Amino acid sequence: MTLALTHPPARIRRPLVAPLLLLGGLAALVVIGPLVIPHDPAAQDLVRTLEGPSAQHWFGTDHLGRDIAARLVHGGVRSLGIAVACVGFATGVGVALGLLAAYAGRVADIAIMRLADLMLAFPGILLALLISGFLGGGVLPMLIGIKLALWPQFARMARAIAIGELAQPHVEAARLAGFSALTILRRHVLPPVLRQTVTLATLGLGAAIMSISSLGFLGLGLQPPTPEWGAMISELLPYLAEAPVQMAAPCLAIFLAVLGATLLGQALAEPPTMPEEM
Amino acid sequence: MSAARSSFWPGGAAGTVLRIVASRLVQAVLTALVLASLCFAFVQALPGDAALRIAAARSGDDRVTAESVARVREQEGLDRPLLAQYASWIGRLAQGDLGHSLVSRQPVWRELAEHGRFTLGLGALGWLLSYAIALPLGIACGFRPGGWLDRGTNALAVALASMPSFLVGIGLISLFALTLRWLPPAGFRTGAHMVLPALTLALGLAAFSVRIIRNAVVEVRGAFYMTFARIRGRSAGAAFLHHGVRNAAIPVATFAALQFAYVVDGFVVVETLFNYPGLGDLLVKSLLARDVPMVMGAGMVVGLMYAAVNLLADLVCIGLDPRRLAGRDA
Amino acid sequence: MTAPALVLAGLTIRDRSGTALVADIDLTLASGSVLLLIGETGSGKSLIAQAVMGLLPAGFSASGSIAINGHAPVEASQAGLLRLLWSRETLLLPQEPRAALDPTMRIAPQLWDAGARDGTARHGEAGHGLTTQEALAAVDLPPRVSRAFPAELSGGMAQRVLVAFALVGRAPLVVADEPTKGLDAARVAQSAALLASLGGAGRALLVITHDVALARALGGQLAVLRDGRIVEQGPADTVFAAPDHPYTRAWLAADPSTWRPCLRCCDLEAPVLSAHGLSFGFSRAEPLFSGVDVHIPPGGILGLTGRSGCGKTTLGNILLGLQPPSAGAVNWQGVDPYRDRTGARRLRQRYQKLHQDPASVFLPGRSFARQFADLAEVVPGLVLDDALPPLLERLRLDRKLLARRPGEVSGGEAQRLALARILLLKPALIVADEPTSRLDPLVQREAIALLAEIVAGESLGLVLISHDRALLAATADEVLDIGAGEGTTTLPGFARGLQGA
Repeated sequence: MTLALTHPPARIRRPLVAPLLLLGGLAALVVIGPLVIPHDPAAQDLVRTLEGPSAQHWFGTDHLGRDIAARLVHGGVRSLGIAVACVGFATGVGVALGLLAAYAGRVADIAIMRLADLMLAFPGILLALLISGFLGGGVLPMLIGIKLALWPQFARMARAIAIGELAQPHVEAARLAGFSALTILRRHVLPPVLRQTVTLATLGLGAAIMSISSLGFLGLGLQPPTPEWGAMISELLPYLAEAPVQMAAPCLAIFLAVLGATLLGQALAEPPTMPEEM
Repeated sequence: MSAARSSFWPGGAAGTVLRIVASRLVQAVLTALVLASLCFAFVQALPGDAALRIAAARSGDDRVTAESVARVREQEGLDRPLLAQYASWIGRLAQGDLGHSLVSRQPVWRELAEHGRFTLGLGALGWLLSYAIALPLGIACGFRPGGWLDRGTNALAVALASMPSFLVGIGLISLFALTLRWLPPAGFRTGAHMVLPALTLALGLAAFSVRIIRNAVVEVRGAFYMTFARIRGRSAGAAFLHHGVRNAAIPVATFAALQFAYVVDGFVVVETLFNYPGLGDLLVKSLLARDVPMVMGAGMVVGLMYAAVNLLADLVCIGLDPRRLAGRDA
Repeated sequence: MTAPALVLAGLTIRDRSGTALVADIDLTLASGSVLLLIGETGSGKSLIAQAVMGLLPAGFSASGSIAINGHAPVEASQAGLLRLLWSRETLLLPQEPRAALDPTMRIAPQLWDAGARDGTARHGEAGHGLTTQEALAAVDLPPRVSRAFPAELSGGMAQRVLVAFALVGRAPLVVADEPTKGLDAARVAQSAALLASLGGAGRALLVITHDVALARALGGQLAVLRDGRIVEQGPADTVFAAPDHPYTRAWLAADPSTWRPCLRCCDLEAPVLSAHGLSFGFSRAEPLFSGVDVHIPPGGILGLTGRSGCGKTTLGNILLGLQPPSAGAVNWQGVDPYRDRTGARRLRQRYQKLHQDPASVFLPGRSFARQFADLAEVVPGLVLDDALPPLLERLRLDRKLLARRPGEVSGGEAQRLALARILLLKPALIVADEPTSRLDPLVQREAIALLAEIVAGESLGLVLISHDRALLAATADEVLDIGAGEGTTTLPGFARGLQGA
């Protein structure tokens, strides 16, 4: 084994480049798009329905004559924004509860983990479906539903890693040397938890995007005429034969967003070639 | 060490099975309880007078009288404290009374049975189809990791896993129904109607299971006990049959149960997409119509099915991997 | 006279980069006899076993020739041909015996495998006319093992099962790769007897080991390997009695059983640690130990030993204030760490532990320099630039190592870095938990000598936990054997002096 005394400057690992570009590009389109595309996503034009792509309407128009491109970028803000918010909340709550379970003794541990088990007993999007359906499909119900389904994974992960780290000799050695519990948490426990959190959050982002678009597709997510990728697909479904390009646009958008998140998560999950300094 | 000693006696085996069954039973009961509470909270949270709504649902909006509303209020105990109402709500459920659909006026259980039939058929077909695809492909990839088949399958699996099931379905409809015109795009009357929904489910499932199968095969083939079996004189094929298959099957069986979560996402969306009258379609339509008893019933059936599938997977794993009987981690 | 079981001629093994890890090995193993190949970690001895079995890892290449049981010599690069000899001519007893067993299958059906192929075995019979029970009895295993799963066996039991495989198989050449790895010293003798029984059954044995005790017990021919070359070979008795090569001499001298115990005088009146009537047990279970008294003067070394699972490590943790005892009291220079919280906090840093895996006490991914700098946070008045350089010099550590991170240094270096870390805390007592069990004998000797030197120089107390009784006998002033029946056995040392006082 060759031992490197000096380490090469940190640079982004190769497998991270493609998914980062993909996600960054999508985010940029969604943010810049509304400024560039002159159309109102809700403006109907019943004369020009289901038109193919043209210089004026880049991806054509839908059954109500609305501009697909405009709806795509406006919908993207919501689809991606809500997904990021869901994952952000779920990560915060999940990691905090997981660490609490690892630290705060047996009773808290059992209570938190049983709650997580209970949430995991609802398969897939069932919980989000029920909450969103009952509360009438808006941003908030969707947020609550998807967050509830996501947090247990983060809690379990954080707890498992924290318990594993606390049993490590380097934690025992730090205790013997007289370091405070807070220092041990900050220096020994949090870094590995956070490293794993980033990976899981990225994968969770893909899952959240899928859940949001699925709810939209079922008519239980954001309500029309609000543009949302899943809802757009559901609205265009009857015109699949006449409007393949209009249909392909939101489909491709969802696919690329989830693909980017999945590939990024996979790339992050690979063992890091160099450990990070904290 | 004491665990190792006690596991020689079969007494521990029945205990382990019992413990697993009990824990899944608790899971099922808790799921049902949460669903029931959620539905109760929802009914309470609806704006307006609950008695008026029920009376209207029973006799039609135009025939509601103050008298009938009062009768409903008394009959259903709506004037009692909230906690008492909650207790009687749960009590009725515990007796197996799911109530009537607010829309079709049919008993909930009858509707569930009717739609459940379709879903079971679709689910079973999709699941079988997914393993018909994933098993040979995953094993072939596992025997040549890094080969062109492995890399191609991996790319395809990642792509499929990045699509919600309605995207897969729309792709299949565009290809087989609209372009090639081989199969009908939607409906449920003939066997041909089943093909596309089942294939949609199967592809979504196989995208994940093919990697699990491939990894299990790769790991088992690299395990030293396989080499050692050959050192002791078995051929490569015999070693795989005798020692490889069972060991590789354990993670695959565990995963198959987890995949049920995906099947739920899958059949809710797939049934809506293909207009297929299963449980998922029923659940979505009831949610849109605010048909609370129906939603609760459908949700419970799905939750109980999930618990049952998990239990089945636990038991299959015990059958495959007797170490678990000793209460040890595999 | 029958043909030799194994003839290696000019065996050379290269890694991916073309570096020769093993070079020009010429060895002959007579049929039915024993050949011991000893050497430290990294000497390439296991590669030779892998080459003979045709099991070299991908990327390694071999040249030279291998002749087995009188067959025509095979080019060492022809792994496929060597594999054809499996089971009929050669059998491997691998390093990790449990990994060789199918975890989901009971032992008996796995045992039948061997004979089933040549058709000699019937149901309940494992081949060579032995029944399953007879085969198990031959390796001293109870009959119930036939119905056990591999996970239910200890490492030693699994190894016995593999030897049973060799007994029911017909391969005349058995290659045993590190057969005592991970076994207690007490089990080495059993292992040697087991291997000898294979020799008794007419098998030729190639034994790869770093364990001098095993080599002494087995006898036969001996070859000493260093950096991939044989530095000395001959009959084991001769080599042990009169080692020729300086490396062999150093190697044999590193065996703790040859060390001369050193008895020192120490101040018995002011112990750095004492404890009285300690017992520990998990609720409902029989206590692991009870009534343990400990008394450690400054500069004194207490050895702690016992079979695995007897509670050695737990007792060490109790003394360190990490784990309250079920009964009894610990006394840190007048302070009971479990009752006097403030006193315990004041003395905390003076009671330190040296872990079994020294690299693991350092936070992964953080350079040693930064981790030493961190200590300034908790040690008031520690000026690293003044304190560290002389310490490093004393521990013979290169300053450049500080730029590295855990995992980038050797085992011996990690051990000394861990020691430096503890010494910066100015301890009064160190509990060293199997500090050298993962080190090669030569490095072990160096590490223990260093530890003893520091204990004497700084007037520290040392609790040395080890399963190696020879090591303790040579190093410690007193040895405490936990779980040796009621109470404890005390070897002569300062405790006797105390009774006399």
